[in-house]
Amino acid sequence: MTASAASRPRPASGVSEFASSVATILSKELRGRFRGRRAFVVLTIYVAVLALIAYGAYVVEAPSARDAANGGTLAPDGVSTVNLVNASSSIGQAIFSMLSVFQLLLVAFIAPALTAGAISLEREKQTLDLLVTTPMRPGAIVVGKLVAALAFVLLMIVAGIPVSALVLMYGGANQADIVRQQVVLVTAAVGFGVIGIFFSALARRTQAATVLAYSAMLVLAIGTILAWRLGTEILTNDASNRFGQVMRAPEEILWLNPAVAMIEVVANTEFTYGDFTETMQSIRGDAYVPPALAPPAGASGGAVADCPPNARCVPPLDTTGVAAATQTPTVGSEHFLWRFVVSMSALSLVLALAAMRLVVPAGLRWRPARRRTGPAVADAGEPAVVEPEP
Amino acid sequence: MGHAAVSAPVIETRGLVKRYDGELAVAGIDLLVGSGEIYGLVGPNGAGKTTTMRILATLLAPTAGEALVCGIGVTDDPVEVRRRIGYMPDFYGVYDDLRVWEYLDFFARCYRVPGPRRTAMIGELLEIVGLVEKRDAYVEELSRGMRQRLCLAHTLVHDPQLLILDEPASGLDPRARVEMREILRELRGMGKTILVSSHILPELGELCTRIGIIDRGRLLRSGSLAEIERSLRATAVLRIDLLADETGVDAACAALGTDSRVGSVLRSTEPGAVPATLEVAFDGDPDAQARLLASLVAAGHRVSGFRQATSDLEELFLQVTGRDDGEEAA
Repeated sequence: MTASAASRPRPASGVSEFASSVATILSKELRGRFRGRRAFVVLTIYVAVLALIAYGAYVVEAPSARDAANGGTLAPDGVSTVNLVNASSSIGQAIFSMLSVFQLLLVAFIAPALTAGAISLEREKQTLDLLVTTPMRPGAIVVGKLVAALAFVLLMIVAGIPVSALVLMYGGANQADIVRQQVVLVTAAVGFGVIGIFFSALARRTQAATVLAYSAMLVLAIGTILAWRLGTEILTNDASNRFGQVMRAPEEILWLNPAVAMIEVVANTEFTYGDFTETMQSIRGDAYVPPALAPPAGASGGAVADCPPNARCVPPLDTTGVAAATQTPTVGSEHFLWRFVVSMSALSLVLALAAMRLVVPAGLRWRPARRRTGPAVADAGEPAVVEPEP
Repeated sequence: MGHAAVSAPVIETRGLVKRYDGELAVAGIDLLVGSGEIYGLVGPNGAGKTTTMRILATLLAPTAGEALVCGIGVTDDPVEVRRRIGYMPDFYGVYDDLRVWEYLDFFARCYRVPGPRRTAMIGELLEIVGLVEKRDAYVEELSRGMRQRLCLAHTLVHDPQLLILDEPASGLDPRARVEMREILRELRGMGKTILVSSHILPELGELCTRIGIIDRGRLLRSGSLAEIERSLRATAVLRIDLLADETGVDAACAALGTDSRVGSVLRSTEPGAVPATLEVAFDGDPDAQARLLASLVAAGHRVSGFRQATSDLEELFLQVTGRDDGEEAA
């Protein structure tokens, strides 16, 4: 053993010090989490289930899609029939919507479970004191644990991409749709993960942290929709609303809702007036123009100028309006997508900072974690360490 | 009391107070531990040992008073303090899913010990605590005594100046206790300053350079084991009842103070109460006691009672020396 001064770190820049601290926690956490066969098995099962769901969507959708493609629907002239869609892309669209909904559900339930124990388990197993009495920064502890916990969810999401990419073969959704789907999934995973770690730092026990994290998740995913519906009912049925118009509650309530963002992503791929489109329209009313109806069926001679601002429209073809309707679905609204990403990221940031504060022992919580230009006494007053004579 | 050669204190507390929800856990402790000392805090469970240690380990903020480690206030710069201490709590867990060397490597990295040094140091530490052959074992396979030694090893990864060990031998079987004691002896040889606690004195007695006896948040005695034993044997507590007003009592206190064999003088009654009772620590045989009484009476003090009392400290000392409850450790 050498003098204690030797073990004191060389001055390092804040960023690289933070990064190496995070790496320390991360490698320790990953050793525990990914050791053995468990992670590998879970991942395999997950991808298999996704593939099965995709296949299920195919089995269910294929017959009706073929019928629709063969028979077609009535054209605006009321005589001829039009193949609005081809069988392949409606199958692809069905697979896309099934996968989107299912993956979001999984992420919403798995992310909080993986992080809710991150800090409280250390408290329960009485290892937190050992960790906190190291010079490790609380920020690095929280970030390292969060990244380690999210690594598995993110791996699951990434492993699901090839399954989603099946859709590209069928049509019905394109790369942009898949990217948007992934953006919602990743944002939701990070958001719910941070919510989990926040309650983990707040609660004494993992059980309590898990209950709180799931409650928060359900409030965001379902509670906000119920609140919005209730608000809408109350406003619509208000006595002052004499003509019974639909009065919508402020849509801001739904910004943090990953389900609404995902519904919007799926609605963008619908080229008939489907369930997702209907939901979006009930939320946003006339402000939402479903991509399915966006090119106002060229028969009326609609020009690009009629196109709603947030939809990318294809100019109607020069032939009869029939042809215009058969084109690929247009890329639609990203209204809720970006609002969700921004507001969820902001919430994550706030909760992560709060969690860092909560890791520090009470009483030492609101003081500066570290003084770069430490007091002179720190070094000058230190007695020279002398090796004991043998 | 007997900390003559204390230079540049590694631990210094001044009037340390910790209150939990109005309950006083530490009631004004002044502690001074110099470099290279092994200081044993001895006291019954709930005496305030753990609270004092947790304050020094930057896990608790004191309600009042100051705690300095190597001259750095624990609340002023906790991170700098943490670099200088190795802390072993009374209750702690280990990361079951890591191997022994990974466990130590993790903590070494937490202290930013550079890579090449880590490998060599882990080997050294495992040798000190006798876990060399367990290097690649999972922590969960270790016995309780081995875990205790592993935790002790973890406090050493950054070669700290000060070790704070809270009941390092609690819950161990006799053989493991002996092993733990041997390790502490070895650390003493390495020149570490150690603050160690126990609720049974024999565990620490011969190991420590000095001992502090602590009860109900107060440090009752501090000094080498021999000093404490001598002072307990020699010192009698005399209860003196005085029929006097305030000025009379003060005069009596002053008169007592002139006697070299008189230690502390405490008033155990409210001011103004008659008779006023003084508790006087007195280092002398019955003959000397008689002379003290005679001198008081000769000086005109109206003494209505003069008797020897048994002190709480004595009982406490019996308790911590293990004559009452040596088995409580299990």
